[in-house]
Amino acid sequence: MTASEVSFNRKIISEDLSNVEFDTSEDVEVIPTFDSMGLRDELLRGIYTYGFEKPSAIQQRSILPIVKGRDVIAQAQSGTGKTATFSISILQSLDTTLRETQVLILSPTRELATQIQKVILALGDFMNVQCHACIGGTNLGEDIRKLDYGQHVVSGTPGRVFDMIRRRVLRTRSIKMLVLDEADEMLNKGFKEQIYDVYRYLPPATQVVLISATLPHEILEMTSKFMTDPIRILVKRDELTLEGIKQFFVAVEREEWKFDTLCDLYDTLTITQAVIFCNTKRKVDWLTQKMQEANFTVSSMHGDMPQKERDNIMKEFRSGQSRVLITTDVWARGIDVQQVSLVINYDLPNNRELYIHRIGRSGRFGRKGVAINFVKSDDIRILRDIEQYYSTQIDEMPMNVADLI
Amino acid sequence: MNEQSSKKILFNKSTLFSLKAELLRKQEEVKEKKQLPQHKVENFKPPPTKSSKKEKPIIDHKKTFKDSLKAVDTEEIEACRKAKKILEKKAELYEHLSDSSGNSELAGRFLVDFDSKKQQDTPVEISDYPEPPEEHFSERTEFTNDVDEWTEYTDCLGRTRKCLKSDVEMYIRRDKDLLKAMTGTVEEESIENEISENKTEKPLLVQKTNDYLRSLREKWEEKEKELLAKDRDIHYQDLLFDEARMHGVGYYSFSMDESERRNQMEELMKRREETLLAQKQAEQVRKKRDELMAARVAAARARQRARAGLPPEDPQEKREEFTQRLLQFLNEQKNEVDAKAREEEKRIKEEHEKERQKLREAYIREWDLGKEGIDDKVKKFKEMTQEEYVEQQRDKRIDEFAPPQATGSQNDQYFDERGKLVSFEIKNKTWDDVRPKTKTPPPPEIGDLTAMNEQKGLYFSTSNKQNIKYKNFVKSQEPTPILNELDDDFEDHRSNIDKRKHDSSNIEIEPPPTYEYYGPVPKQIRSEKPFYSDLREAYSQGAKSLESKSSNRQLSNKYDFMFD
Repeated sequence: MTASEVSFNRKIISEDLSNVEFDTSEDVEVIPTFDSMGLRDELLRGIYTYGFEKPSAIQQRSILPIVKGRDVIAQAQSGTGKTATFSISILQSLDTTLRETQVLILSPTRELATQIQKVILALGDFMNVQCHACIGGTNLGEDIRKLDYGQHVVSGTPGRVFDMIRRRVLRTRSIKMLVLDEADEMLNKGFKEQIYDVYRYLPPATQVVLISATLPHEILEMTSKFMTDPIRILVKRDELTLEGIKQFFVAVEREEWKFDTLCDLYDTLTITQAVIFCNTKRKVDWLTQKMQEANFTVSSMHGDMPQKERDNIMKEFRSGQSRVLITTDVWARGIDVQQVSLVINYDLPNNRELYIHRIGRSGRFGRKGVAINFVKSDDIRILRDIEQYYSTQIDEMPMNVADLI
Repeated sequence: MNEQSSKKILFNKSTLFSLKAELLRKQEEVKEKKQLPQHKVENFKPPPTKSSKKEKPIIDHKKTFKDSLKAVDTEEIEACRKAKKILEKKAELYEHLSDSSGNSELAGRFLVDFDSKKQQDTPVEISDYPEPPEEHFSERTEFTNDVDEWTEYTDCLGRTRKCLKSDVEMYIRRDKDLLKAMTGTVEEESIENEISENKTEKPLLVQKTNDYLRSLREKWEEKEKELLAKDRDIHYQDLLFDEARMHGVGYYSFSMDESERRNQMEELMKRREETLLAQKQAEQVRKKRDELMAARVAAARARQRARAGLPPEDPQEKREEFTQRLLQFLNEQKNEVDAKAREEEKRIKEEHEKERQKLREAYIREWDLGKEGIDDKVKKFKEMTQEEYVEQQRDKRIDEFAPPQATGSQNDQYFDERGKLVSFEIKNKTWDDVRPKTKTPPPPEIGDLTAMNEQKGLYFSTSNKQNIKYKNFVKSQEPTPILNELDDDFEDHRSNIDKRKHDSSNIEIEPPPTYEYYGPVPKQIRSEKPFYSDLREAYSQGAKSLESKSSNRQLSNKYDFMFD
């Protein structure tokens, strides 16, 4: 053993990853236009008709490595086109003549899985791509029939997808890419086991893509268990909040006053569309009832509702028929409704990541947004912590808040 | 103004007219405003009533808090009471005057003509304001820490009022009457609908929206059923469900009918090709036209020059051409060099990338272990014995760097312990002679092998072998410390060194750089001990210390093989 070998070995041993700072990989190429990415014509057409003109920062960096087949960990601010990033990459690397599932996308909520399906179909409108949303709360028989019909891409939630794989309805032998949207949530305690279960059925060394606006350190640490030499495109946490989303707080002395404040704000809420976040399903129900009793038109959604109802509420909100939605964190991640410009945290979120995701429901793809936090006096400390953690600014709400929307 | 007035008032006539005009204008304005829909009783929608019993105490608290800040001052309350008394007196007088409208003895004393004022009041007004605004209360809130006589109410119109506690009952009764009267009118209007009371309270708009929403939901459901009905391709349009989304300029909403969609797609393709062709043609036409134009301009200039008696332009053009060509040539050369450099860089990068790719292919993910095809890959890695490893390393070695061969050459000279040159035949030592006899050392260890076994990462054996530490190719021997033979009290030092020997994990500390240490020491005779230094020995010492350090370090569970 030579001296250099000794030191080399020692280096490996001492590589305790909790102290390692993960940085964006060095050799990441930046491609300034969609045209110069070498994408297929039909896909380019889909991209432009969907409304994209110039790729966002994350799209400029991540699309090519994914298309090349590398494992990629991509992080970007909310509403900057992450879903489109992996959707474009997927569509570019698909073989549409092969009518088998080639890509599996997993996301934490059914609404998000459905939304991703929609984006894939929209971008691939000229490619004749087939994408199925394999989510819980739907009819099993129909799911099976859809999968049997042959789907290029399956976007789903872990539970139902695993079920379909075990029944051998969803065949995995042609799967060459696994995408985990909202990756930090998917690899958290609640979901990790289910992801592992699904992963065990995939061919070895399947390409894995992780995407999220927030990627805490502990998530990055574990990625080598199922990824090979991944390319990382990361965002420092002080750059994670968007300039376009103005953040405010309203200090209330008592919990009961939050309701009065909300009533006072109602006219502002309905300028475009607004989402109000509570921490529990019960509170969502309670607040909805109270608002309706006070003759305010609001709709609500949470995980205990039947899927049919959830679907209808989503459609109403997406079509603009309802303008104010009271909901839980089921809505915090990934859901994209362009017209949402105001987010209210009726309760402060339970962790820092959720804060980023919640306020990110507004200010989609360069639009303006406002986030208002209702804080009781003892909550203000938490808010200050969030403010400091992300190096952002959360001011007291001004009177002219409506002008900012 | 009042002709019957007993008093004479001096005034300008024009002011009178303008005053009258202003009055009429105001009256007109009031009438107009009354016609507005939001002021009609039938359109009245009770504002956010805080009727639920649960909520009442909440408001209570809030008001108490706010008012406790405002009205603690008893003096202020006293003044308030006084003002109220005066106001009440005034109201009494006013009522009296307007009731008797001029017949009273007092009438002459006031400027207001109550008689004509009474006539001006239209009956509509009376029905619109059946009671003075202060009198409608549906809810009351008491000041808890304030004067007891005062209470606060919220009437059915949503206004907050104050009044004496004793009057509350009456006000509430009146308020109820008003509410009844109002809802009564609404009911009359919508009798033919016969909707429950609860629903009649909702404005027509809300009902209509609800109906519209219901119809939308039905439509969506139908659409969804259709999507599930048969095996068919699903497209973006099928899933849009009236979503309000901005698309790109080129967005085209295809038909949901499959065959029609195909036709539209074909049509779109055709159009696109046509456009491209047209663009190409236009470009060609433009080019041709530009050429023509340039030729004509050149000809014109030539003619001009000819007329002016100047020689034709050619030489200058040629000179220009020459410089241009020169520039072009230089540029080309520069580009060539650049391109070469770039290519070289690219080639290096590619090579590097290839190597990494190889590593990547060899890498086995923890979550993949046990999958089909992976186990073979794991077995492909054969653990070498130490001998095999050494042989492999020897094979790789360039011969020139090999240790000297002893057979028959002049190189078989050796130095003995005293540094004397000794020449004798030595057997070409093999590794076997050198290595420790007790144990078979495994290949260089990387951390704790037991931890690795659990993880089964790349390059690590899965077999459960003993955890043997790699030792250098020397027999273990007690390390010999460096002795300071120059010191005054040599014996003391020796004992110190002996002490130090025991905690051998420490690296030897160098002596202090002082004069006493290094200076001349004439009285001590040089030790008889031979100069004893063995490089191998020292090395083994160093390796040992490193080993003991590394074996203490447990590999974290999070550890994984990383390339960068």
